[in-house]
Formats: sequence, C-alpha cells, structure tokens
Amino acid sequence: MSLVGQSVVRVDAASKSDGTLEYTDDLDFEGLYGAVVRSTIAHGNILSITFDETFDFSDFVIVDHRDIEGRNANVMLTDDQPFLAETKVRFIGEPILLLAHRSQRMLKEALKHIDITYEPLTPVLTVQESLDCKTLLYGDDNLFKTIRTEKGEEPDYTALKSLEKHYSTPHQEQLYMETQSMIARYCDGAVRIVGSMQCPFYVESALFALTGKKIEVEQAPTGGGFGGKEDYPSLIAAYVYLLSKKAKQDVKLVYDRAEDISFTTKRHPSALHYKSHFDETGKLHALDIEITLDGGAYVTLTPVVLARAVLHAAGFYDCGYIKVDARAVATNTPPNGAFRGFGAPQVIFGIERHMDDIARCLGISPMEVRERNLPHSRSVSVTGAKIGEYTRLRTLFETTRKASGFDEKEAAGTPYKGIGMALFMHGGGFTGEGETLLASKVWLDLHDNGMVEIRIGSVEMGQGTLTALPQIVADVLALPITMIRYHLPNTAKVADSGPTVASRTVMIVGELLREAANALKEALGRYGSEAEYLDAVRAYLKSGAQSRFQAAYQKPDTVQWDEEHFYGNGYDGYSLGCYVAEVEVDPVDYRVRVSDFYAYNDVGKVVNPMMAEGQVEGGVAQGIGYALYERIAYQDGKLRSSRLSDYSVPLAADLPKLHIAFLNTDEPSKGLGELPMDGPAAAIGNALTHALDTAFDNLTITPEVVEQKCR
Amino acid sequence: MQIRCTINSRPYRFECEPEERLLDVVRRLGMLSVKKGCGEGECGTCSLFFNGKLVNSCLLLAPQMQGAEIVTLEGLQKETETIRENFAKEGAVQCGFCTPGFVMRAYDYIIHEGSKDEKRVKEALDGNICRCTGYQKIVEAIVKSMS
Ligand code: FES
Ligand code: FES
Repeated sequence: MSLVGQSVVRVDAASKSDGTLEYTDDLDFEGLYGAVVRSTIAHGNILSITFDETFDFSDFVIVDHRDIEGRNANVMLTDDQPFLAETKVRFIGEPILLLAHRSQRMLKEALKHIDITYEPLTPVLTVQESLDCKTLLYGDDNLFKTIRTEKGEEPDYTALKSLEKHYSTPHQEQLYMETQSMIARYCDGAVRIVGSMQCPFYVESALFALTGKKIEVEQAPTGGGFGGKEDYPSLIAAYVYLLSKKAKQDVKLVYDRAEDISFTTKRHPSALHYKSHFDETGKLHALDIEITLDGGAYVTLTPVVLARAVLHAAGFYDCGYIKVDARAVATNTPPNGAFRGFGAPQVIFGIERHMDDIARCLGISPMEVRERNLPHSRSVSVTGAKIGEYTRLRTLFETTRKASGFDEKEAAGTPYKGIGMALFMHGGGFTGEGETLLASKVWLDLHDNGMVEIRIGSVEMGQGTLTALPQIVADVLALPITMIRYHLPNTAKVADSGPTVASRTVMIVGELLREAANALKEALGRYGSEAEYLDAVRAYLKSGAQSRFQAAYQKPDTVQWDEEHFYGNGYDGYSLGCYVAEVEVDPVDYRVRVSDFYAYNDVGKVVNPMMAEGQVEGGVAQGIGYALYERIAYQDGKLRSSRLSDYSVPLAADLPKLHIAFLNTDEPSKGLGELPMDGPAAAIGNALTHALDTAFDNLTITPEVVEQKCR
Repeated sequence: MQIRCTINSRPYRFECEPEERLLDVVRRLGMLSVKKGCGEGECGTCSLFFNGKLVNSCLLLAPQMQGAEIVTLEGLQKETETIRENFAKEGAVQCGFCTPGFVMRAYDYIIHEGSKDEKRVKEALDGNICRCTGYQKIVEAIVKSMS
C-alpha cells in the first residue's frame, strides 16, 4: 500500500512526549552565558558608553562592533541592518553590546552598570509620520519597497456602482513556545553554531558575511518557528559566535520571553484601501487596491512580504481591471518579518471583507457576490496570469457552502449570532523567480545496509518534515519508513535544499526527493521483496557506482515571471481554502465566541492526513487569535507590555471543534503550512459583521471594540 | 543555601541561591522535561508535582524546595505511558516543546477527575499553551487515554 496518503505517526513523537528530546537550552553545556545590551531609545546617536568603575568587569567578555572582523551587516535582501549598532540606533531594543559570563546572575547585575548616553533624534513611530518624510530613515522617501501593478482595461464606470473602504490589521507575535536560543561551540580556534532555526543556510551565509569564513551550522530540535525563526536566528548566531570567539569558550544565549516578545520580528501591520466598481448583480469590474505595510527599522524580509501581499490582494476573483499600489515604510520600531502567511493574511482580510461589503451594499447574500465572481477559464490574476485553479476553486466553494449550511444560517439572522466566509488561495514556494534563484538541491545517500539517507537543509520545527519527507521517499522505493534516515541538518553535511519557509517543503523539496528516489530506484533495477532490495543494493554498491543520488530544482515551463513589470504567474502552484466561521456575541460583556468553524482545503495530494489536519487546526487557532485576541501595543516606540499575560493567545477552551476536510485530489501536493492562517480572520470579521449588522474592518476585534460598535 | 529534598523518589542535597527559581534548579539537576516557555506562570511548560500538587515551577523559589517531594515527567514514565502513546497516535505532538507539560496536565486530570466530557478537558487545559496544535488532538488524546 502506498505510504503517501497514510497517517504515519510522527517519528519524533515519542522523544517529544517523554521529555527526552533536547532542545537548544537542554543541550550539554559548559561555558559562558551571553546577554545583549540594547538601545533604550527609538532613534538617536550613541554619544558614549561607560562601564561603572565600581563594578568589576574584569571577568566579563565584552563585544562591540569593533570586534567584527568582516562586515557589520546582516545581509538578507539588502545590507542596511548592522549586527551591532555603531553610532546610530533605530529602535528600542537595537543591540549595541554583547556580554558573556559564567553566572547568569552576574550578567544581570552587570547590565545595570553600563551606561549609554545618546543624542536623541526625532523618532518616526507611525506609518503616517514616515510617509510625511519630515525625518528620513531610509533613502529619500522612507520607502523600503514599492510595487505597482495594473492589468486589464479600465471599464466604462458610468453605469457601475462603487465602494471605497479602509481595512487594517495589526502586529502579530509568532509566540513559538521555545524562545530564540543559540549555542556557539568552541574547539581549537574554530566555532560551530547549534541552535533553534528554520534556515541553517541563511545562518551560514550571515556568518560568512560576518567572518569571511564558512562556519558549520547545525539545527537543534526547534520548538516552533512560524516564520519567527526564519531570518532572526542569523543575528543571535552572530552574537554567540562573536562572544565565543573572544572568550575562546562555548557561549549560550537564550532569550527570555519578555526579550523575545519585545525585540524579535513580528507580522507586518497593514493599512489597506479597497475601491471597487461593480454592477447591480455584484459582478466586479474594477478593483483599485492600496497596501501600506509598516516594515519597522530595517528592510529584512519586508520587500518579499510586500510582494506576497500584492499577489494575494485581489484573491482569485474574476475582475476585468485590477490595479495595486503597494509600499512598505520604515519606522523606528523593531523590524517586522516573516510570520506564517507572509503578507497574505493581511490582504485576504481586506479582499474578503470587501466582498462581503459589496454584498451588504447591494443587499444581497455574500455567497451570491462570491459566486458571481468565481473565476472561469479565461480569468486572469492580479499579475495577468491565467487562473488555472478555477475548477478546483469552484468545487471547493460549493462543497464548503453546502457542508456548512451557509445559506440557511445566513438567512436565519439570529440576534448576536453570525456566519461568515473566506474563500482564498495561497501560493506555494518562493514568489516569482525566487525558486529559480534558490536552485535547491537534495541528496539521497544509499548505505550498504540498505538504509537511504536524506541529506537536505530542510528542518523539522513541528510541522512534520521529519516524517512527511521520508514517507515520500519510502513510497517511491516501496520500503518501510524505518529504512529511511533523516537527521536535523548540519550545513557541513547536507545539500542546500533552501529555507524551511513559504509552504515549500513538501511541494518543492518533496518533489525533488521523489526525483532523486526515482533515480535510485532505477539504478537498482527490479526488486520485489525487501530481501531482493538488499541484494540489489549490495550488487549496485559493489560495482563501485555512485552512492549519492541528487536532484536540483529546475524552473517548470509553467512558471513565467517578469519581476520588473510584476507580470506572469508568481507561483509553482496554489493551495486553496474555503473557511466558514460561526460566531456568538455575548450581549453583556461583548465577548466573541467562535462557536463553529469549517476549514475546507484543496492542497492536491495529502501526504499525511493526520499531520495535515494538525497543521490546519494549529493555523486556524492562530488565525482566530489574530482576529480576536492577539494585540501588541507600542507606546513611543516601546512595547507597552512584554508579558505573556498581556498577549493572550487562544487557549483550548477558546476554540470550537473544527470541521476539517481536504478535497484530496491526485494533483501534486501543494503547500499547506501557511494556508490555514490566511482565512480565519476574514471569515470571523465577516461573521461578526453579519451578527451585529455593523462592519468590523479593523483587527484585533477585542470586546472593547465590539462594545464600541454596539453602542 | 543548602537544600534537601526528594526528586522522583531520590534524595537530593545541593547548594543554591535563595532567589533561584525551582524551574532552574530542577533543570540544572538534569530534569530537562521541565521546559521554560514563559517564566511567568502562563504557559505550563514547566509543570511538575510539588508535594503532590501540579504547579508551575517557574513561580516557586528554590528555598521552597526544602524538604519537599518533587516529581517530574522523568519520574512518571510508567504512569504516563498510555497518555504518551495516545499523544503520538492522535497527532497531538507537533514541535513538542509544550508536550511534556501537557502530558503532566493530562495525567493530573485523569487521576483526579477523569470526566471524558471534552468541555471539561478543555477547561482543565487552561494553564497550558500550545501554539502548534490548536489543542483539538490533545483533547482527543486525553479523552482516549480514559477509555
Ligand atoms: S515557564 Fe512556567 S508557566 Fe511558562
Ligand atoms: S506542539 Fe508546539 S507548542 Fe505545542
């Protein structure tokens, strides 16, 4: 029986549930603890740093930017962010100095005896202030990136109705349960990095820029990432590296929760402006969308987040003319970065709320509006590419609509109860030419005992890679999964299969592994039983042939992309979601309860149904949190509260029982990691708008917001 | 200061600072199933039994360990076997960082109450955060462990 499609139990479940799996902070460690000294102002010049003479700093290791041998720039898309501030600081919490000491208590004590004085500059704390350009933070317009795209012909507007609305979404914190943590191992002058991360090769290349040397980077078991461990670990790896190099000892740096919440990257807040033109049946003729993201103090991944926002901004609806004008601005707040969905949850909230608003404006049902605008064989996307998914989308829409009983419930109009839908897509893999530039590789090594070893840079961070990828390989080779080895990656030992992000692991890396496994199978010739397989392996290896089988990404002909004009089909494939939320509002305390939730998905072939369901359950929980609970507040550039008690994420009792379904097709597997995060907030916003007959256009919808709206 | 206590039925005697947290002390002594997710009593990853009561060890100070009887997941491997198996089989484990804490909570719930009502189980989980699973499979695993 085929292994792909079966709910194989995760290979790491036992060691995780008995407590024996060692995360970074659990690893055997003898050495110094690290700490980061940070800016206390949002914008300014560093005038002086003084170490209190009454305090004995002699047994501390102290590092500043002068200890950097190579470039003081964390090179991602650009090089504007220094590892350690030199003369200028741009956000509260920006790292200036590093300290290490054997005792964590002494470290804490020492922090009180370092005094940094600044010449404060006017901080730019809001998007509006940034756009006003009174203070320049980046370039000559404070814009990290702008994207403009336009497709189709403008319609004749005279007979059309129009609607113009603003929507907004806030910061969101990844809140992986294991905080950022990293260890530098020192041995005979060389340093090796071990830690919690999504992208070992990103860390390797950041350290290369810092040191001019190839440093070995190893992923430790990682307690969640959700994007928060995509680019950020490069910084903390550099910190332990610098300290360890100077101390000539191991150094460990583990953020406490407050530090993690305060200073690491978050989801970009967005301001969205939708203007639409449609006829009296609800058929869209023109969409004019403006997107503004707050990027924070440095560029980091913002341009790519913005690109994904643009690509998802109009959904998959059929519309003759679409124009998107998008920009990301610099502010003096901590840099924002990757978070599951990566720009899509923001704009899907926009387009899906807007579809309901069009329905409200015409006095027809939101289903009718969606149905009228479902794509057909000639429909094109925001970048002018054919929407090849139109049949899949229609099937998904109809199935979900029926299964959830949407129409009857919507018509019922029970007080304080509402129902809402979001219909959406998520592009798998890197945007545009991204996958081509990445040129991912995989290796499969054949061992003489018949074991097949997967050697790639993709990581397990909870999503199930360690189980799903062996399933794919074992499936091709018709072997039990126990014959496949796959360890957490070490950059010195594995092929660079690209970062573990962008819903790409099963879809792109899995496909490459399938290719390599097929090559291996072909090399071995026919075998029926496991014994025959072992014979074939022995004979093959005895012949002295290559024991490594490789595959590398090649751009499929279907992906055509013109970055300059933002034109073409931006992704290798799209997964689809249709989510329905039912909500109840408590008329006394205005608390909102999601009472029922339908999450129907089309992701092509599902590799492991149990794990796929788990991804949807977790993603929907985060989406519900995004809609109703999770709120980060900055005041004068400082997080108002960095305590977990003030950042509420959903608990078990806050969540309804979810109805999850996959329209399990035989199409190749598409990405699933991010999809379930994209839709819930829009579905809930729509359900609340239905329940209270007043529009909810801004997240987070806390009880205070509901109360105000009800007044 | 000198502390004497028992951890997982073994006597321990060690030196610690008065302001050290119980969480850090047990981890230093090698009980690594006890994780630090928040350090402020919100997430439940640091759960252990303290004189028979399930507590968040990040909220207690080392001096409180004097004479206490402490049990961590390391000391409950046999007792929690079914629960752990069900966590694996039902898909209740993802990144796993919260899992030891949830297993401890589940064990505590089952020995003290044992109602299979999903609502009750969910309520019992209100001191534990899981950011990966959305809890559904955790609840299912716990209910299954009671059958
Ligand atoms: S670490 Fe103790 S409750 Fe979170
Ligand atoms: S499994 Fe990751 S936090 Fe629960």
